[in-house]
Amino acid sequence: MPLSLNYLVKRLLWSVAVLVGVVVFSYVVIILSPGDPAVKWAGNPRGPGAAKAVEEARRELGLDLPLHLQVLNFLKMVLTGDLGYSIAYRQPVFAVLTRNLAATLELLFAAYLIGVPLGSLLGVAAAMRRGGSVDGLLQTLGLALASTPTFWLGMAVFAVLFSAGFPAYGRVSTGLALATGFQAITGFYLLDALLQLNAPVFFDALARLLPPALAVAAYPTGLCLRLSRALVADALLEEYVRAAVAWGVKRRVVVWKYAFRAALPGLVQVAGTAFAYSLIDAMVVEYVFGREGLGRLLFDAIAFSDFKLAVGLLVLVAAFYLAVNTLADVAQALIDPRVRL
Amino acid sequence: MSALRGRFNSAAGFLDLARRAWRRSTRFRAGSLLVAAMVAMAVLGPYVAPYPSDGWGLVPRNAAERAGKPPCPEFPFGTDNLGRDVLSRVLVGARLALLQIALVVSVSLALGLFVGVCAAYYRGPVEALLNYAAEVFLALPAMVIALALRLALGQGFHVVVTSLILSWWPWYARSSYVYARAVVEMEYVLLARLAGVPDRTVLLRHVVVNVLPPVLVQAITDLGSVLLEASAINFLGLGLPPDAPDWGIVVQNGFKYIVSMPWVSMFPGAFILATALGFSLVGDSLREEMDPKMRRRWKLWF
Repeated sequence: MPLSLNYLVKRLLWSVAVLVGVVVFSYVVIILSPGDPAVKWAGNPRGPGAAKAVEEARRELGLDLPLHLQVLNFLKMVLTGDLGYSIAYRQPVFAVLTRNLAATLELLFAAYLIGVPLGSLLGVAAAMRRGGSVDGLLQTLGLALASTPTFWLGMAVFAVLFSAGFPAYGRVSTGLALATGFQAITGFYLLDALLQLNAPVFFDALARLLPPALAVAAYPTGLCLRLSRALVADALLEEYVRAAVAWGVKRRVVVWKYAFRAALPGLVQVAGTAFAYSLIDAMVVEYVFGREGLGRLLFDAIAFSDFKLAVGLLVLVAAFYLAVNTLADVAQALIDPRVRL
Repeated sequence: MSALRGRFNSAAGFLDLARRAWRRSTRFRAGSLLVAAMVAMAVLGPYVAPYPSDGWGLVPRNAAERAGKPPCPEFPFGTDNLGRDVLSRVLVGARLALLQIALVVSVSLALGLFVGVCAAYYRGPVEALLNYAAEVFLALPAMVIALALRLALGQGFHVVVTSLILSWWPWYARSSYVYARAVVEMEYVLLARLAGVPDRTVLLRHVVVNVLPPVLVQAITDLGSVLLEASAINFLGLGLPPDAPDWGIVVQNGFKYIVSMPWVSMFPGAFILATALGFSLVGDSLREEMDPKMRRRWKLWF
């Protein structure tokens, strides 16, 4: 019995409650915006029938109800997965979001698969040389990586690759995808190419994925470096480490099995939160590299004044944050038995 | 009381801490120099900029012959596609950068401290409500709040600052709540309340004074993170209007020309990096200095 059901249910209910708060906030922001959405919905009518058309639009949108009923109606819609209709795409917002989510997640996963192991490894290396010049250099490197503006790093990577003759633009070469009959099934192009045993598309997609992933990876690398350095350095001063060393346990075993194991729960917790926030970084870098994904929706929402799409993004990002944090808590409980109580 | 380790109780105590950190930590010295340079730029920028009107975003009259020059003695950071001197844009932009981050961090710190301390002191429904509000805004990154505000209110300084404040105050609320919970359990707080000292005085004299120091040190580190987020928001065009003297905007101005004129984006971005790094170095080494456990220089067991 690794995890109590009670704990999970409580976490889930809390997440739903927070999501309700997010939805209410976004609705209030839209209500506060100048300009009457009913006029827009009616298509900016003029002439003698205008007042009537606006009145009808208002009733159609449910704007004639008192505010608390409007919010309640909106909540009901969102909780059933109905985020309304996107003006920019002429499709339900929910479909637009899910179609673009996979692209962003692919980038984010790639970045964390690079960043977290690399950062942790460097952090442990620094902790083992505590107080030395290597330690100081690595710690400063960690701070610098975490202080780099992601969009700027992405541009630098793009410019360098472009000058070297490797334009990493978009997700996959359209010509190649058409020529080999590549089809998007899951939306994760690497996975799709593997499923279809399509080697050319796989390597093309990988070559276009790695450069932006490196840019997104800067922050998690720096964060994990600093965190694992601090946690492992603390753990190495503990009595049980001294006892293990006195017993003649091998140095590598002491560091990885004792000290790093003690640092793991804290690392999982912070990396989880950072993962949720890195979604934003991934969206920005997508824009820089001209990739499809959630980042493009940000601009479409502005260009078309698409409030529904914007609210959908807000709800999606918050839901992602809550889901990742719940998962991180569960993972932490699995790793660290003390939390389960 | 592990939460209250190494506190300082006055401005003099803070200076003392900074002096100790200056003596002992190379990283603190490097960080303070970076921060000092940034502040000097913010104060003097518009006066020392070689072409101040370029810095404010105006296109010079002889734009055609100045456009797209690589770094040279006349234009140390080169010029952009409209012939504006990038060095001047960077120098003038420092003030707006500092204004944005100082405003965001101070307002969210005040708000978060107020919420966190009230939640810890009054408990009950107040505590539940305030913690819930903090949790809701923790789930919303500044970028998406900025998107909503951009759509509702249009571009402008208020959009960047408001969205950042909305997303940053819960961090301060959360940490001051944790520290304040430890403080309100202290006997001197109980005794003060029993003696009939009014709530406001207890909160200010006993609770806030003891909660503030660690939160303040955190805020120094956050100045750098807020700069990163603010420039990203401005870069995407969600905040300040195009051609505003802001580093994120200047990076955006060079975005289309990143291959042919990389200097337009690279120099302001490097200044964002250096400033954020400076604040992180200072905050990080101050925290280390405050925490006696991190300060000890023991030999490892192996």
